[in-house]
Amino acid sequence: MIVLQNLIDAVSLGAVYALAALGIGLIFSVMRLINFAHGELIMVGGFTLYTLAGQPLLVMILAALLTSTVLALGMERVAFRTLRKASPATLLISSFAVSYLIQHIVLLAFGSRAMGVAFLPELGTAIDLGGLRIPLLQLVTIAVTLVLMAGLVAFFRLSETGLQMRAAAEDFTMARLVGVKANRVIAFAFAISGVLASIVSFYLVAQTGSVSYKMGVSMVLIAFVSSVIGGMGSIAGAALGGFLVGIVSVSLQAYLPVDLRPYRDAFVFLLFVLFLFWRPDGLLASRADRDRV
Amino acid sequence: MLKIRDLHVSYGNIAALRGISLDVGKSEIVAVIGPNGAGKSTLLLAIAGVVRARAGSVEFDGRAITGQQPEALVTTGLSLVPEGRHIFGSLSVAENLRLGATVRRDRQEVARDIDRVLAMFPILRERYRQRANKLSGGEQQMLAIGRAMLARPRLLLLDEPSLGLAPLIVAQIYEAVRALRDQGVTALIVEQNVGRALSAADRTYVLSSGVIAMSGKSAEFAGNAAFDAAYFGVAEAAR
Ligand SMILES: Nc1ncnc2c1ncn2[C@@H]1O[C@H](COP(=O)(O)OP(=O)(O)OP(=O)(O)O)[C@@H](O)[C@H]1O
Ligand SMILES: [Mg+2]
Repeated sequence: MIVLQNLIDAVSLGAVYALAALGIGLIFSVMRLINFAHGELIMVGGFTLYTLAGQPLLVMILAALLTSTVLALGMERVAFRTLRKASPATLLISSFAVSYLIQHIVLLAFGSRAMGVAFLPELGTAIDLGGLRIPLLQLVTIAVTLVLMAGLVAFFRLSETGLQMRAAAEDFTMARLVGVKANRVIAFAFAISGVLASIVSFYLVAQTGSVSYKMGVSMVLIAFVSSVIGGMGSIAGAALGGFLVGIVSVSLQAYLPVDLRPYRDAFVFLLFVLFLFWRPDGLLASRADRDRV
Repeated sequence: MLKIRDLHVSYGNIAALRGISLDVGKSEIVAVIGPNGAGKSTLLLAIAGVVRARAGSVEFDGRAITGQQPEALVTTGLSLVPEGRHIFGSLSVAENLRLGATVRRDRQEVARDIDRVLAMFPILRERYRQRANKLSGGEQQMLAIGRAMLARPRLLLLDEPSLGLAPLIVAQIYEAVRALRDQGVTALIVEQNVGRALSAADRTYVLSSGVIAMSGKSAEFAGNAAFDAAYFGVAEAAR
């Protein structure tokens, strides 16, 4: 029973990590940018919920989706588009700059203290499932993630734009040579990453009941680690990596000696470093380093 | 149809093209030959908009296209089959071909064109649902050419279509080039395989260290002492 309980914990945490990692992985796959400002897309989603607290649920959710998506498109247009030909290092540094800038704007506007938000408090209750007590939030998280992933798979497999994005992820220059519009696929990738980020913010706000200007930071680190484990540049790899990191985290939480449990994330990162010795390119073959035409 | 004047391209401070002028007429097949590092690929990449020209002009059908983006140039009727083929290995043969038609809206005609490509390269029909990285080198080259054809280009740019392929496959590829030419497609082909280039092309340019060393009708090249000197001379010097 305990094992099953842990498994559900692991899958639901893994699901959130997978959504965050997909946001990072998707942008990396089309433009070789590790977007650390993805954490701030999550954060502004959270702050939108905070600002609109008390409004109808649907209004809060739609507004948060919109804010994160518009911010994602905005950072692409303002910060990253002009740097598209720059080196990955330059792109990385500019994503740190964007991340830092947005954090500090929010810091100025809202202060540094975490602030409470009642968002879907009903999900805090646990339901009884054959002797297991499972928090509703976990079940909803798993269900929402599965629906989103099925939607993404269908989008990538079936739509013309999805096909173009897969081509661009594999060989960006060649994709442009067959007529794929660079600006369009990249903007699309950012829009999807914005939607994914706001959904991660829903989980974080529902789970912690609060928002703070740094709320996206640790999630984006985990997302980065997950997408590296999956194989940078592989979209499926990012999702897989997220689930794995979730499962490992929950296992450590459950089976580490009690006095070591607070250091769970340190162990996750240690395992990550060891993993890199074993598979520096991640689990699913990555095309990250393959050069362009 | 294609008119290049005094084209200069550099990578950093390495000058790859140093003042190239070249013309391709409608329905003509023109070859560019030259040793490794001569700048042949750079020439095609500059025409297709992948690399920027430092100076000079490229005109396509009388319109200046210098500095345009690759995705915009495909819509004007110009398709590049790059060196090394660059097929989308993780996608199926079918998806690669569909991507070739990205710039088109006439779905039914696209379906018919895919059929034509499959008729031209029957092996691709057998492999239609397979991932493209499972194909042999020759099959990948056929796919790359088929993918380019699906944009319905008026000018096809081919970079070393025979590279690394068995003679039988090379013959098949050039058979296809000839068939395309009969359909009125104009082609600019870069080759290291001099024999192939001379027999396929109406006219040939010899490129060496970023400049045109010689040009003329292909038929007059074979066995021509000046050509041997220009081509093999530069080839020797490049070693
Ligand atoms: N991306 C690049 N960065 C720097 N220099 C480059 C780059 N691409 C090509 N060069 C240089 O430009 C020159 C021309 O290269 P290019 O690839 O056009 O030659 P090529 O004639 O196609 O050779 P090959 O027959 O080997 O394909 C060479 O000296 C090459 O080293
Ligand atoms: Mg070349």
